[in-house]
Amino acid sequence: MSLSDPRTAHAFRFVRRDYADGVASLVYAFDDGPELIERIVFPDAPMPVPERAAAFEAALDLLHLIAGVSYYKAGVPAEIRVESSALDAETAAFLDALYLHGLGEFAYHNKLDLRGRIRFPAPLQAEGRHAFLPPLQGEGRHAFLPPLQGEGRGGDGVRAAVSDTDTIPTQTLPLKGRASGQHRTLVPIGGGKDSLVSVEILKSAGEDATAVWIGNSPLIAACAERTGLPRLNIGRELSPVLFEYNKLGAYNGHIPVTAINSAILVVAAILYGFDAIAFSNERSASSATLEYDGQPVNHQWSKGWDFERDFHALLKSRVAADLDYYSLLRPLSELAVAERFARSARYDDVFSSCNRNFRILGPKPADRWCGQCPKCHFVFLALAPFMPKPRLLAIFGRNLLDDIALAPAFDALMEYRDHKPFECVGEGRESRAAMAALIQRAEWREDALVARFADEIAPQLAADAPALAELLQPEGPHQIPVRLRGYLDATR
Amino acid sequence: MSSTLASVPAPAPWVVAKFGGTSVATRARWEAIQRIAAAHRARGRRVLIVVSALSGVTDLLKAIAETRGDEARCREAQVGIVERHHALHRALELPTRNALDGWLARLDQLIADPRRGSGALDWQAEVFALGELMSSTLGAAFLTARGLPTRWLDARDYLRAVPLANQGAWARYLSASVPAAPDPALPGALADLGEVFITQGFIARNDGGETVLLGRGGSDTSAGCFGALLKAECVEIWTDVPGMFSANPRVVPEARLLARLGYEEAQEIATTGAKVLHPRSLGPLRRAGVPLVIKDTNRPHLAGTEIRAAAADAAPCVKAISMRKGVTLVSMETVGMWQQVGFLADVFAEFKRHGLSVDLIGSAETNVTVSLDPSENLVDSDVLSALATDLAKICRVKVIAPCAAITLVGRGMRSLLHKLSGVLAEFGALDVHMISQSSNNLNLTFVVDEALADELVPRLHALLIRADALRVEDGAVFGPSWRELAEDGASAPQETWWRRERAALLRLAGEESPRYVYSLDTVRAQARALMNLFRLPPGEGGRRPGEGSGIVDRWHYALKANPHPAILRALDEEGFAFECVSPGEIAALRATLPQLPSERILFTPNFAPREEYAAALAQGVRVTVDALHPLAHWGELFAGREIHLRVDLGIGRGHHDKVRTGGDTSKFGLALDQLDAFRALARTHHVRIVGLHAHAGSGILDAGHWRSVYLQLAALAEGFRRVESLNIGGGLGVPSRPDEQPLDLAALGAGLAEVKRAYPQFALWMEPGRFLVADAGVLLARVTQVKRKGFVNYVGIDAGMNSLIRPALYEAWHAIVNLSRLDWPAGEMVQVVGPICETGDVLGANRRLPECHEGDVILIAQAGAYGAVMASRYNLREPAGEIVLP
Repeated sequence: MSLSDPRTAHAFRFVRRDYADGVASLVYAFDDGPELIERIVFPDAPMPVPERAAAFEAALDLLHLIAGVSYYKAGVPAEIRVESSALDAETAAFLDALYLHGLGEFAYHNKLDLRGRIRFPAPLQAEGRHAFLPPLQGEGRHAFLPPLQGEGRGGDGVRAAVSDTDTIPTQTLPLKGRASGQHRTLVPIGGGKDSLVSVEILKSAGEDATAVWIGNSPLIAACAERTGLPRLNIGRELSPVLFEYNKLGAYNGHIPVTAINSAILVVAAILYGFDAIAFSNERSASSATLEYDGQPVNHQWSKGWDFERDFHALLKSRVAADLDYYSLLRPLSELAVAERFARSARYDDVFSSCNRNFRILGPKPADRWCGQCPKCHFVFLALAPFMPKPRLLAIFGRNLLDDIALAPAFDALMEYRDHKPFECVGEGRESRAAMAALIQRAEWREDALVARFADEIAPQLAADAPALAELLQPEGPHQIPVRLRGYLDATR
Repeated sequence: MSSTLASVPAPAPWVVAKFGGTSVATRARWEAIQRIAAAHRARGRRVLIVVSALSGVTDLLKAIAETRGDEARCREAQVGIVERHHALHRALELPTRNALDGWLARLDQLIADPRRGSGALDWQAEVFALGELMSSTLGAAFLTARGLPTRWLDARDYLRAVPLANQGAWARYLSASVPAAPDPALPGALADLGEVFITQGFIARNDGGETVLLGRGGSDTSAGCFGALLKAECVEIWTDVPGMFSANPRVVPEARLLARLGYEEAQEIATTGAKVLHPRSLGPLRRAGVPLVIKDTNRPHLAGTEIRAAAADAAPCVKAISMRKGVTLVSMETVGMWQQVGFLADVFAEFKRHGLSVDLIGSAETNVTVSLDPSENLVDSDVLSALATDLAKICRVKVIAPCAAITLVGRGMRSLLHKLSGVLAEFGALDVHMISQSSNNLNLTFVVDEALADELVPRLHALLIRADALRVEDGAVFGPSWRELAEDGASAPQETWWRRERAALLRLAGEESPRYVYSLDTVRAQARALMNLFRLPPGEGGRRPGEGSGIVDRWHYALKANPHPAILRALDEEGFAFECVSPGEIAALRATLPQLPSERILFTPNFAPREEYAAALAQGVRVTVDALHPLAHWGELFAGREIHLRVDLGIGRGHHDKVRTGGDTSKFGLALDQLDAFRALARTHHVRIVGLHAHAGSGILDAGHWRSVYLQLAALAEGFRRVESLNIGGGLGVPSRPDEQPLDLAALGAGLAEVKRAYPQFALWMEPGRFLVADAGVLLARVTQVKRKGFVNYVGIDAGMNSLIRPALYEAWHAIVNLSRLDWPAGEMVQVVGPICETGDVLGANRRLPECHEGDVILIAQAGAYGAVMASRYNLREPAGEIVLP
């Protein structure tokens, strides 16, 4: 079949989804073009338990709808057609928001305006339609969220606030041992410091946790092995037709991959009998990377609080009322995560947060840390105040703060003269606070970029700029189960 | 077997043989010890065997010594120790266990000892000593039972520790010093007791009669002390490696076994990196004039490394290059160090106060820089931070890390400096933080960034050989390479095609000379080796239909290496596409292969004029751009087109400066910091970047190089929206010198496959040139005249640099043989020169050929690449013609 440029298509179709023998097949198409089939492979999958069949089917539907974003974006046609399932208004509104914000950076790079273009078909319930769209400007959006040491009603409060179309009955996920308080948690591992901090928190809390990762990555596999936890590796194969479309000029760019991974893990949780999914997204993942044409653009939108809150609510109301989905690090700053990571040297020689090298495992630091991307720069800076200098330099194999050529890169991290890079890095004030801590340290003070900060940037900083200790305090909304909250205490 | 042996006479020489932990851990190893001791005795020597504890036992004893109150852990370690020794006892089939059980009972007592609670040092020393006491006890019983009567000696009765000034209690008990000098009475006294003895390494007694330890590497030290006390004929250190090497063989497989070293050199090598021998063992032997030999227990026939006083007239020579990683530099700057009394004393007092030991020191008027060797302390604790804080009160302090100290070791280093220019050039582009050269003239140390060290050391090793500073031809000093030892007895190098075709080649040379001759079979064989590179299992790797079946999706032949029509036709038949760098090459290709689709031609020019791009685009050829200029100034030319972008990843690799094509000083490729600007220009002109390309040099023999380029390009390409292919260049090396190893194609394929699994969305392209054709061509020439000037012999041939310029241009090394007298015995060293009026017209320097006569046919090998195509009419001499072997 000859292919045509997906940018000329009229409709994007959610054709069908199947599950057999541990393989979920998600099928899409542009108009009458060839089927785009994505396959998710669940190793040694047990037979779906009859009591959970309804939840499993609902989870598959949701996965199909969310994973479609990888293909939809190739053409961004005017019409979205869902042939595989009937959408309710709440789900349609959730998907509208996910596709709009999750493709924010994509739209920015491709100079597209997606506002008003993305409309998942749903029964007309105008009031509920935009319930999931958060206000564009940040002020007041967290007003209704409970404090960390609250009464543990975070999830309920959120759901009450956003869900007004509760017409579909919730489906219960029966779990053995639930009565005795025994929880089973899937903890997704990314090879970076964040998820390893979560692993250590779950271990210290004595949780029954399984390290899970998606796709083939020797580096992540090595990290997962180092955790000492049971492991689960889920396979994901994109449709090869997508590559052919790319050749024809399809739109390409960033997609909300955390949303896709979340949906995959929901299916996995129901399949293998887990009742919680603990992600490791921190507070700063919620802040916008930049503003474009009046719209905040966040590189890591699906790692942000809005997505977590809404996805959790949707799961509770549409998939399984007793499946917890939360981010264990949500109230923590990047610096607080770095400080926690520094407490143990367990992962020093296997982890990597570098975006360039993270798929490949190598014995030398340079195999895991490119030293050139914003992730490398930020993680180096964030860890520096919290560990002996020789240890940090041994992890990276070099001293990034003594390389004057990297001045523009670190300026960007500090939001000095430049906007924040499109990467999952901390907030500007975190980078500034880390740098401010280093100029107090004799072993760092003379390094090129630290000295430059002291001479040039520090004098311009406001007197009330937050100090390091302040930024280590947990704050902001989250939906961490009550039993784990004590483990997030910032003190050692 | 012993009863039939004559007894050894009283004044017989002594041999001290030391065996480490793994060498005493199994019955088979004890049988080897028996053979070695019996052989010495049969030669009329008295033997003293010095042993370590069974491997792993010292760690278990350490666990006991450190458990303090942890009863369970302590008992667990004790059970482990008992089981290890009982198991070996059973394997040795000894009749009685009384002596061993005595020591195990002593262990029980020591565990119950109240001193354990505090971990008292004298108690720890007693605990640790049990390991050697038990292994030597088992050994004495086994050797005696096997018919080699062996007398057990308590080493503590002979080695007396003496406290040093400033030596702390810890060192006095656990790292004590034994000043051992020859004791003329001892050999005779022992001779009265027997012929073969066994004793313990690692332990001694102090003046108070307490047990003390000799610290890390203590068994080597014990052997050295006994060697000196007995003024032995020789001390043998038996290990699992053949000896000391000219570099760490794990990093440099070409490292050569060091056959002979002076004490000082050996001590320097052992101190700066080699782990095979503890440097403390050499001091007593040097003073007593006793030689030491390192031998391989598994291969006792190998000569090993002999360490003895250096001959006074030995020529200066680099013996080894060693490396220590994890080095931290502390640089201290003061504005007024000059005449500032006590500055150094103040600085070093801080290091002492924080318990940090300084290694290298470099100083200038206002700066003193010192190096700290790696220690767990530095990584686990804040000691460096505390030190820096205190130092900052008296100077400006800067911590530079992680560094590696690379040390060249050899006597007379300063008189070798003139030979090191090529070696020093290697440091040219690098940031050398510190250079240190001690007045003993044994070493030259460079401190560089640690990340550079692993790649630097093998290159420096090769350069030292090339510079004749590491004179590996000297069989008295250098033995075989690690790789040769590993391949021990592997087959000789493969026979070359030109040996098989000798008769035909002699005939062709008779018709016309000089003359290039090509073997198409060799071209095809190389092409097929690449095509088959790492065939993936079906279904893996995102294979695109119609492209190659190996890991690389499209191979291009870089025809600048050799555009001979027959070669182009052969490679087209083998499925290769083509890479051209000029319109002339495109025209030549089209003339030879008129049916070739345009899209199988990749045009990758450098600093080409506008018209060339226009012409190539008009022909539908794929075009690679490697600068901003074309898009910035001729954007309309590329509007709506697909292009490939060549980037410079900032690394230059290859065998010579002129063939390195990466790095800022190279004219090729777009700098990475201009990538965004390039993409902006591409968007403005609606140009689609469909491929990324990098090529960082030629003659690369390290298979990991392309994996690294591939990985970097793939990571970059993820940020692009249209990139379909990654062209990781060529540069596949062909070994020329006898000491070089061929590129490991299996490793290359595996490395590429690993990246491909991670980035299946990109097609992988490569573009080798020389790899395909170098070995396929030879240059035949005839001897014109021979000449002798002083000690230099010249063989003149009718081919000069106008036919083959690589030796003059790149210092390339081509094998040269006298084809008329193939395999005749080699005669004197000669310089093979051409007829061109240039001093540099040398095709091969310092070659050993059979005696050459006018008219002999000389064959210059590996001339298939960059040979005829680079020829000129300089001096108005016609260059060699070309012919394909029929």
